[in-house]
Amino acid sequence: MTGERAGDTGVRMRALVKEMAGVVSEKAGDRPRELARIIWHEPFAKRTWSEFWFLTIGTPLAALGLAFVLLTIGAGVVLAITFFGLAILALSIRGSRGLGGLHRQLARGLLGEEIAEPEPFVHRPGFLGWLQSALRDRTGWRSMAYVASKVPLAFLGIFVGFSMWWDAFYCITYPIWGGRGNGVAAFGIPRIVFGSGFFSGGQWGFLHGLGIFLAGILSFFAAPWAVRVVIGLDRRVMRVLLSPDPVAVRVRSLEEARAQTVDSSAAAMRRIERDLHDGTQAQLVALAMRLGMAKEKLAEDTQLDLDQVRQLVNDAHRGAKEAIIELRDLARGIHPPALDIGLEGALATLAARCTVPTSLTLDLGERPTPAIEAIAYFCVAELLANVTQHAKASRASITCTEHGGWLRVVVRDDGTGGASLSRVGSSSSGLVGLTDRVHAVDGRLGIVSPPRGPTVVTVDLPLHA
Amino acid sequence: MVIAEDSAILRDGLVQLLADRGFVITDAVADADSLWRSVERERPDVAVVDIRMPPTFTDEGLRAAIELRRHYEGLGILLFSQYIETRYAAELLADDAAGIGYLLKDRVADVSDFVEALRRVASGGTALDPEVVTQLLGASRHSDSISVLSVREKEVLSLMAEGRSNAAIALALVISEGAVEKHVANIFTKFDLPVSQSDHRRVLAVLRFLDS
Repeated sequence: MTGERAGDTGVRMRALVKEMAGVVSEKAGDRPRELARIIWHEPFAKRTWSEFWFLTIGTPLAALGLAFVLLTIGAGVVLAITFFGLAILALSIRGSRGLGGLHRQLARGLLGEEIAEPEPFVHRPGFLGWLQSALRDRTGWRSMAYVASKVPLAFLGIFVGFSMWWDAFYCITYPIWGGRGNGVAAFGIPRIVFGSGFFSGGQWGFLHGLGIFLAGILSFFAAPWAVRVVIGLDRRVMRVLLSPDPVAVRVRSLEEARAQTVDSSAAAMRRIERDLHDGTQAQLVALAMRLGMAKEKLAEDTQLDLDQVRQLVNDAHRGAKEAIIELRDLARGIHPPALDIGLEGALATLAARCTVPTSLTLDLGERPTPAIEAIAYFCVAELLANVTQHAKASRASITCTEHGGWLRVVVRDDGTGGASLSRVGSSSSGLVGLTDRVHAVDGRLGIVSPPRGPTVVTVDLPLHA
Repeated sequence: MVIAEDSAILRDGLVQLLADRGFVITDAVADADSLWRSVERERPDVAVVDIRMPPTFTDEGLRAAIELRRHYEGLGILLFSQYIETRYAAELLADDAAGIGYLLKDRVADVSDFVEALRRVASGGTALDPEVVTQLLGASRHSDSISVLSVREKEVLSLMAEGRSNAAIALALVISEGAVEKHVANIFTKFDLPVSQSDHRRVLAVLRFLDS
């Protein structure tokens, strides 16, 4: 709802007031007629009534909540010497959480304020575990802070709201029954303005009545906005205190990243085992078989067929060489030795081995940690493999720069685009795996790949994981 | 004979080896479905099957072997594996030990042993890898009964559990066949088992005893 334009303080103040007053900027604009229409309409608007109910229900709730909090904390502190004190304190926090939830629901239902539910309460097993988790629950403490601060807010809201509405009613009906009372406005803000000694009585009686009447009208139309300002304040406090705990959110995302990393490393292990089993071990068994056959043939006294033996030994030798090549490729897939020297050498090899002519530009001041270098290397390897298989490109380029603690690797090719993370297929599963790996170290992977145009993939990694 | 092995290198090697030794190889396939079709078509005497095959690379060969034996009477199956899993051996030998073999792929390197095991399976006997036997003997709860046996008797027991005939045991241990028969009788007496005639039945008896 706010149009935050940086720099212009006046505009920002206006925007802030607008937000707190809950004005929808497209509707109001700056045209006076629109404004007048809204002001005329507002006291009867549904929103005004919702806010009214919010105040009506919220205030007793707040009072109850504060009573609960004070009582339990008081009891807890008094009994803190004994074990019960801590238990009561923990109950207090759990209760605050619940109360905070109630307030949140109220806000969602009546004000349309959507505040995300914080993470549910998770506690360690056993009673002591529950106690510990409850006392440490940051969300619970924040909810308690809200419950405590809600009371002044609620009472302020009631004061402003009721005083203005009541006075509007009083003042508008003053001409009907006016004069018979003390002639003084009974309650709240207008009392301050129209208290005795000012505009009261005497030959100015008619003007006095008219003045009060007009003040009533003013109050009637201004009331919704005043209430809205107070509730806007309440909303801000709610957003800060009742929203999910940023620390908890961060912990959750880290836990997810960790789970993904563990899964992917287990999958990598399985892949390695399979490659070794199907490739190298099979080769070696076949090798042993042929040599075994050759050995038996040589051990036979009768009819030694040297040609057969030669053939067997030749095949065995060939098999041994193939096994060596497979092992070498496998080892490079696990960890390329070139990486030990640095990213430059390893990437140069990748660029050279790519069937598409690839240029390499490197500008690294500080050397990243080996883990980051490995991730960067595998990203480039996967991306170049995709380029060769899918892009139908004629040129590709790798750029590696470092800036402000971040390593940026950009792989560009001029082939057909259309690379994305959502497509199903072997190429995108490689990309998805890359993204997981990059996110696990808080990096970013961005793809710009219009259907015809060149594809640019940018990988940002922190220099030190 | 039908060979089922997913690694092409090994498959070709096996074909070459067994053809050289005089076996008639009717088909060489790479997965369990093809194995079924091939057995249906060719009705071989024996099938050499790798346990790990596509699509899941866990125990396709084992499942196929158990099913094939139920379907086709008299089909001998020799199962291959990179690793010996005692659980697989137990499943395989659950009903009947006749015409069953379970070997490590490493055994292929000892060509004559492998061929002999294959012949045994083809003619209805049993061929268990010594590794399986070692594991079973080691894991048995009757280790006290086994320790009562003499060294020679333990050797005879291992070879017997592999499924070898008395003649083969005599050859392996370089003793007379009569001596083997005596040892076998002693073993069965000490285990309190009836002496059975056929080689594969006594394998089963021994294994059941060890497992109980």
